[in-house]
Amino acid sequence: MNATVQVMTGRPGSVSLPDQQAQGSAGEGAPERAAWPPGDLAIWIFILAELAVFAIFFAAYAFARMGELELFVTYQQTLDTNLALINTLALITSSYFVVRAVGRIRADDARGCIRWLAGALALGGLFLGVKSIEYAHLFGEGVRLSTNTFYTFYLSLTFFHFLHVVMGMVILAAVAVKAAQGHYGRAEYTGVETGASYWHMVDLVWLILFPLVYVM
Amino acid sequence: MTAIRPETLVWLVLVALTLLTWGVGQEGLNGPAVSLGLLGVALFKGYLVGDWFMGLRRVRGPWRWVIALWLLLPGGLIALAFLLAAR
Repeated sequence: MNATVQVMTGRPGSVSLPDQQAQGSAGEGAPERAAWPPGDLAIWIFILAELAVFAIFFAAYAFARMGELELFVTYQQTLDTNLALINTLALITSSYFVVRAVGRIRADDARGCIRWLAGALALGGLFLGVKSIEYAHLFGEGVRLSTNTFYTFYLSLTFFHFLHVVMGMVILAAVAVKAAQGHYGRAEYTGVETGASYWHMVDLVWLILFPLVYVM
Repeated sequence: MTAIRPETLVWLVLVALTLLTWGVGQEGLNGPAVSLGLLGVALFKGYLVGDWFMGLRRVRGPWRWVIALWLLLPGGLIALAFLLAAR
């Protein structure tokens, strides 16, 4: 193998790195310093737009809670924090799996990349399943969007996030299929980084949502 | 002995902090200090995800801080609302 490989700087364009830097862990194989974040810049614009919406949602929740503190504290206790814990661990671990998938494709190991992505998708599926159980239980108890302000926020905020998990899984699945078709390797893996960035955003949002809605 | 990958270490820290947050909830601890502490833990977890999982620690310039700055926005507003609610 040639002593240098082409790796993305984060923006379309590439830089030569020693071959051995493309080996090993997920964090390795990336350039030391890049001017742009990993993946397509367009996904980052999209991520920032999504994060702005979630920031407004979180702030709205917090200020609505301020106005109806007793109601929020009371009904927060009806939520199942054990299920929320499982889901948080599922998303954190799936994000880690995606990091490993990026590391494998940087090392030109498409099969390894697909395996890690499959693991991440399985955990995404677990998240959706657990969340569905949670929703089914609450709906069975007669909870609706209009039940009270807490449930309005809880249902709309978590379901909005739920849809982002679905979207993230579709993106990861598409990346896995393209990897299986041989579209990615150490010379070109922007698509993998792009999908990974979106999935990490989904994880990031949940890391704030979990304590805010279930614990605090 | 095989060295642990930095990303694996970050994942373990994230898991540990998640269990800590859950444990605080299980103990029924509350009050503004507890809430702000949990918020701080959540923001730190978000920072770790941005830096290590999203790869921003390898980025220079304004993009390096984009997630950290985002975290300050809802973080600051949530902290303000919780402090006002506690008054």
